[in-house]
Amino acid sequence: MKTLQDQIGDVIEKEPVALFMKGTPEMVMCGNSMRALNALHAAGAPITTVDILPDPRIRQELSAISGWPTIPQVFVQGELVGGADITEELLESGELQRKLDEALGADRAQDVKVVALELD
Amino acid sequence: MEADTIRALLEQAFPDAAELDVEDRTGGGDHFQVTVASPAFDGLSLLDQHRRVNDALAAMLQDGSIHELRIKTKGTA
Repeated sequence: MKTLQDQIGDVIEKEPVALFMKGTPEMVMCGNSMRALNALHAAGAPITTVDILPDPRIRQELSAISGWPTIPQVFVQGELVGGADITEELLESGELQRKLDEALGADRAQDVKVVALELD
Repeated sequence: MEADTIRALLEQAFPDAAELDVEDRTGGGDHFQVTVASPAFDGLSLLDQHRRVNDALAAMLQDGSIHELRIKTKGTA
């Protein structure tokens, strides 16, 4: 089994848009995770979510990789975009859509996918 | 008061701030909205601006005394 660090790194690097959040899109457990999820939906992003709640080590490893202390965290093609506040601000300014258009094309898929990390 | 501690940390990190506001969003002393406008942000991306605020409050984020933090930053240029 891959380490948590490697699994998290894989999601960040391989998923077009990764959202590390509290809960899942079906059951969001935090207002800020909801704000980030809604902003990504509004921008027409494909979204791959990872729930950080099942184990505190997920959040520790994630923050160690990203250097970002809080949840949620949004990545586009391996690059940290920010948390809920930045994602919302970039949506309002149109920059989030531009970033997605550049990275993934204007007629991108908009699937929502949930990745569960393997815990030992 | 956590809000006063946050304000003091931000004033220390951004002594030139043109605007600095800390709001206890719920009254419970652990959900905060901070607003900082500072020349220190000029030329920085939004991501790096927020990093500077997170860095200033790192200890309080780490020990859980800030449960939720909303950040609004602006340069002054």
